[in-house]
Amino acid sequence: MGFVDNHILSLMTFLPLLGAAVLLCVPRGKDDVIRWIAAAASFLPVLLAVKLWFAYDRTVAGVNTASQFQFVEHYTWIPSINAEYFLGADGISMPLLLLTALLSFLAVIGSFGIEKKVKGYMALFLLLETGMMGVFASLDFFLFYVFWEVMLLPMYFLIGIWGGPRKEYAAIKFFLYTLAGSVLMLLVLLALYFNTTNPETGGHTFNLLHYMAQGTHNAWLKGFDVRILLFLGLFIGFAIKVPLFPFHTWLPDAHVEAPTAISVILAGVLLKMGTYGLMRISFPIFPDATRWFAVPMAVIGVVNIVYGALCALAQSDLKKMVAYSSVSHMGFVMLGMAALTPLGMAGASMQMFSHGLITAMLFFLVGVVYDRAHHRQIDGFGGLGAVVPVYTGFISFAFFASLGLPGLSGFVAEQMVFLGSFEAFRPFVVVAACGIVFVAAFHLWSLQRVFLGPLNPKYATMEEINAREMFCLTPLGIIVLLVGVWPMPVMNLLNASAVRLVDIVKAVL
Amino acid sequence: MFLGNLGSLAYFLPELAVTATILLLVVLHVASKRKTSSAPAFLALVGVGASILLAGVSPPGEGKAIFEGMAAYDGFAVFFKVLTAFATLVVILMSMDSGELAGRSKAEYFIFLLATLLGMFLLSSATDIVMLYLSLELVSIPSYLLAGYLKGKERSTEAAMKYVVFGATASGVMIYGFSLLFGMAGSTQTAEIGRVLAAGKPALPVILAAVMVAVGFGYKIAAVPFHMWSPDVYEGAPTPATAFFSVAPKAAGFAVLVRFYYTVFAAHDAASGLWRITSSMDWPLLFAGLSAVTMTVGNLVAIKQENVKRLLAYSSIAHAGYMLMGFVLLSPAGIEAILFYLVVYLFMNLGAFYVVVLVGNSARGENLSDFTGLGSRAPFAAVALSIFLFSLTGIPPFSGFIGKVYLFAEVIHRGVYWLAVVAALNSVVSLYYYARIVRAMFLLEPKDPSAIPVPAVSGAMLVLLAAPTLVLGVYWEPVARFASASVKMLAF
Amino acid sequence: MAAFLASLNFSDPYFAVLVLLVIALAMAVGFVFLSQALGPKRYDRIKFDVYECGVDPKTPAAVRVSVKFYLLALLFLLFDLETTFLYPWAVLYRSLGLFGFLEMAVFVGILLVGLVYAWKKGALEWQ
Repeated sequence: MGFVDNHILSLMTFLPLLGAAVLLCVPRGKDDVIRWIAAAASFLPVLLAVKLWFAYDRTVAGVNTASQFQFVEHYTWIPSINAEYFLGADGISMPLLLLTALLSFLAVIGSFGIEKKVKGYMALFLLLETGMMGVFASLDFFLFYVFWEVMLLPMYFLIGIWGGPRKEYAAIKFFLYTLAGSVLMLLVLLALYFNTTNPETGGHTFNLLHYMAQGTHNAWLKGFDVRILLFLGLFIGFAIKVPLFPFHTWLPDAHVEAPTAISVILAGVLLKMGTYGLMRISFPIFPDATRWFAVPMAVIGVVNIVYGALCALAQSDLKKMVAYSSVSHMGFVMLGMAALTPLGMAGASMQMFSHGLITAMLFFLVGVVYDRAHHRQIDGFGGLGAVVPVYTGFISFAFFASLGLPGLSGFVAEQMVFLGSFEAFRPFVVVAACGIVFVAAFHLWSLQRVFLGPLNPKYATMEEINAREMFCLTPLGIIVLLVGVWPMPVMNLLNASAVRLVDIVKAVL
Repeated sequence: MFLGNLGSLAYFLPELAVTATILLLVVLHVASKRKTSSAPAFLALVGVGASILLAGVSPPGEGKAIFEGMAAYDGFAVFFKVLTAFATLVVILMSMDSGELAGRSKAEYFIFLLATLLGMFLLSSATDIVMLYLSLELVSIPSYLLAGYLKGKERSTEAAMKYVVFGATASGVMIYGFSLLFGMAGSTQTAEIGRVLAAGKPALPVILAAVMVAVGFGYKIAAVPFHMWSPDVYEGAPTPATAFFSVAPKAAGFAVLVRFYYTVFAAHDAASGLWRITSSMDWPLLFAGLSAVTMTVGNLVAIKQENVKRLLAYSSIAHAGYMLMGFVLLSPAGIEAILFYLVVYLFMNLGAFYVVVLVGNSARGENLSDFTGLGSRAPFAAVALSIFLFSLTGIPPFSGFIGKVYLFAEVIHRGVYWLAVVAALNSVVSLYYYARIVRAMFLLEPKDPSAIPVPAVSGAMLVLLAAPTLVLGVYWEPVARFASASVKMLAF
Repeated sequence: MAAFLASLNFSDPYFAVLVLLVIALAMAVGFVFLSQALGPKRYDRIKFDVYECGVDPKTPAAVRVSVKFYLLALLFLLFDLETTFLYPWAVLYRSLGLFGFLEMAVFVGILLVGLVYAWKKGALEWQ
C-alpha cells in the first residue's frame, strides 16, 4: 500500500501504458479479451482517482510552492540536461486528473462498439490516456512537453483510421495545427531553460516551480518586451488547444470526423489542456504579461462565447453543433481566467470540470443516434421523443445542463464566471450574458426539431438506448446534478489554488 | 610533432582494413566462377566490421597528426569513422536484401561502397587541402558509379550523369578556392593557413575562398543552392545506394565542413571553449542563411513529391539544413548537437530506406501509391516506417525529437532566435509530407490486399534500426557522452 | 563598406588576377550578348541545319564514338601516372632503403590488382 501511496500519480499515468503493452500481446481475433483488458487498464486509474479525492488536503494551495504540492514524486531523470521526473497535484490539476480518469474509462466502455482493428484502437487509446494524465501531473516543463506531444500521434491515428468520411483531412489538420502550437511552446521552453537558474544548484532547470520564483530569472528574461513575446508564444500554443478564436478552425472538423469515444475525450479532456497550460505555466511565470494581456484575453473569451453560439445556431449537423457549443463554453473559461479575480478563476476551473462532464454526455448521446440512423442531420429527424423516450430524457438533461439551467453544474460555473468578471469587465459580461440567449436558442431549437414535433416515419422503429450506453452516461449525469445542487465538494478542491493563482498574477504576494 | 609514414600506420588501421578488403574483393571477383555469389557481401561485412573494431583500438586522447600533418587522428575523426562504417555495414545488409540488385554481380558494387568508405575515413581526418581534395574525390567518384550501377535502367544512368557533371563542377570551384588559400598562406596545411589568415589578410580573397570552398562542401551535404543533383540521383540510384548517400557522405561532408572552417576561418579560444571568426567575413551568418533556405526549400518542395525516394531526398536536404544550424554557432555544444543528430539521423534514415527497399522488392516501384494499405499488408514494416518517419519529424518520444532539441537548445542559447523560429516552423511543415506516407499506409485501403512477406533477416534489421530510434528518445546519455567526447579536434 | 573598399590593395598581384577574370568573363558574356542584341534576326530554316561544308547533311550529326577509345585513354592515364611516381622513387632508391622498396611494392601491387581486374574484364581487348 505504501508503494501505491507514494507513487499514485505515476501509477495513474503509466498503468494505461502497461495495459496497452499487455493487450498488444493478445493474439489476433480475441477482440473481447482486448476490450476487457483495456477497460481494466482504464478502470484502475479511476480507483486511484477515488483515493486521490479522499486523500487530498483541501486547505493547501500549492500553485508555486513546492512544499504545498501533494502526491509529489521527484526524481532525477536526465542529469545531462537537468530534466527531472517531477509529478505533483494541486487544486488546479486535481479536478482535471479526476475528470481524465473517469472520462477515459467511460470512453473505453463507449468504444466497445468499434469492430475494426480493435487491438490498435485500444492500444492507441491507452497511450493517449497516459499522455493526458502525464500532462496534468507534470511539474517539469520538459516532462510536460513530452507528454503533451505524446498525445498527438495516437489522436492522429484514432481520428484518421476510425473516423468519419473526411477523417484524413480532419486528422492531419488537427495534427499540423497542434504541432505548430507545440513547437512554439518548445522555443519558449528552451528560452526559459537557458535564462533561469536553479536556486539550489545554480545550473539550468526545467522545473516549473523554479521558473515561477522570480529571483531565478536572468537580466534578459526580466525585460518586459521579452516576457511579452514569450507569453504570447505560449499563449498561441495553448490557444490552439482551447480552442480560442481565431485558432479554433481545426475543432469542428476533428470533432465531427472522430469516432464517438474520441470526440468525448477530445472535447472532455484535450480542450482543457489549453486552459490548464495557461493556468499552470503562463500565468504564474509571466504575471506581468498576464496583467498586460488580460483585456484582449477577455475579449477573445467573449468572442468565443458569442461566435461559437452563433455558429452552432447555423449548423445542420448535430455533432458539429455540439462541437461549436464546446467552443462557446471554453470561452467562459477564458473570460473567467482573464478577469483575474478569485471568483472568476474558481469559476473557470469549475467550468472546465463541468464542461468536461457535460460535453462528454453530449457526444455520447450524439453517438447513440448516429449509430442508429447513420446520419446526424438535425432536419432529417423529427418527433423522436415518442419513439425513444429514455434517450430523449437523457439528451434533454444534457442539453439543459449545457445551456446552464440552474440546478445543474453548468449554471454554477457560468454564474461564478459572470460574478467574478463583472467587476473587471462589465461590458464584456453584458455581451456574454446576451450570448447565453444564443446558446439557449440552438439547444432548444435543435431539441425541438429532433425530438418534438411530428414523427419522421423513417425512425418509427428506432432502438431505445441500451444498457452499455446508459452506463456511460449515468455517472456523468449524476455528478452534473450533484455539483449543480451541492457544488461545495468540488469548489473546496479547487478554491485554494484558484485564489492563490490570482494573488500571484496580481502580484499581491 | 608530426608522425612519419611508418609511425602513422599504427593509427591508420581502419583504413588499412578497408583497403585490404577492397583488394581482396577485386581478386575474389576476378578469380571466381559464379558471378552472383554472396561471398563478396560477407567479405565486405567482415572488412567493415574489422575497421569499426580497429577504430576503437588506439584511443585518440588529445589527437595525433599523422602522415606528416596530412591527416589527424583525434576523437572527431574516430567518431566519423565509426559512424560512416556503421552506416556502410547497414547498407551492405540492405543491399543483400534488395530486389533491384538481385541477379546482378554485386562484387563491384561492394568495391565502390568500400572505396567510398575509405574516402570518408580520409575525409574525416584530413588536415591538408591536398588530402581534402583527394579524399573528397575518393568519396565522390565511386558514388557516381554507385548511382549508375543499374546499367540497363535509364533513370540510373541519368542519375550518374547528373551526379558526375554536378560533382565535377562543384569540385572545380572548391579547388579554385583552395588555390586561393594556398596562394595567401604559402602552405597546404589547414592549421598553417588558419594561422596566416588569423594574422590578417585582405578581405576579398578570403571571402572568395570561403564562398568557393562552401560550394564544394555544400554540394556534398546537399545544401541549397547546391542541392539540385540530389533528388535525381536519389531517385535513380539503387535504393541501398540512395540510403548510403543520404547518410554517410553527408556525415563526412559535415565532418570536413566543421573541421575546415573551424580551423581555417576561425580561431579557438581555449578559455571559453568557443571559436571566433578571424576574417572580416561573417561566414556563420552566411551559413545561417544557407541553413534557413535549405530547410525551407527542402521541406516545401517535398510536399509535392509522389516518389517516396525523391521525397526522402528532399527530406535529407532539409535535415542537412537543420544540422547546419549547429554549425553556425561556433561552440562545442553546437558541434555536439550535430554529432548527436547524425547518430539518430543514421538510424531513422537508414530505417526508412530499408522499408522502401522492402516495398520496392514486392511492388517494383517506389511511388506513394505502392505504399497504400501497407498497414494491413505488412504491418510490421508499416509500423517501423511510421516510427522512422515520426522520428524524422521530430516529435517525442522518438530520438529525432531529442536531436532537434539539442540543436534548438544551442541555437537559442547563442541567441540566433530567428533561425530557431524558422526551424520550428519547418518541423511543422515536414510533418505534412511524412504524414502523407503514414496516411497512405494506414488510412487508405490498398488496391491489392495480399500480404507482403517480410523475410526474417529484414525484420531483424528493422528491429535493429527501430529500437535505437525508440530507446534513444527516452534514454540517450551514452550517445550524448560519446558526442561530447568526440568534439576534440586536433589543433596544431 | 568603406572599410572593405579601403582594404582593397590595388597593387596586390591577386587583384590583377581578379581584373583578368572580370574582363575575361565580361568579354565572353559580352560578345554573345552583343551579337544577340545588335545582330539582325532574319529567320531561315537552313540556318538551323548542321554545318557539313556547305552540302546537305548526309548522316545524323550525333556520332557514336566507340567506348574503347575512352577505356584506352583511362588506362593510359592511370599507368602513366604510376610511371610518374616510379621515376622520383627510382632516383632516390638507394637512400630510401628497404622501407622505400616495400612502400613502392605495395603501391605497384595495388595497381597490379587493378591491371588484373581490367585484363579479366576484357578492357585490354581492342575489339
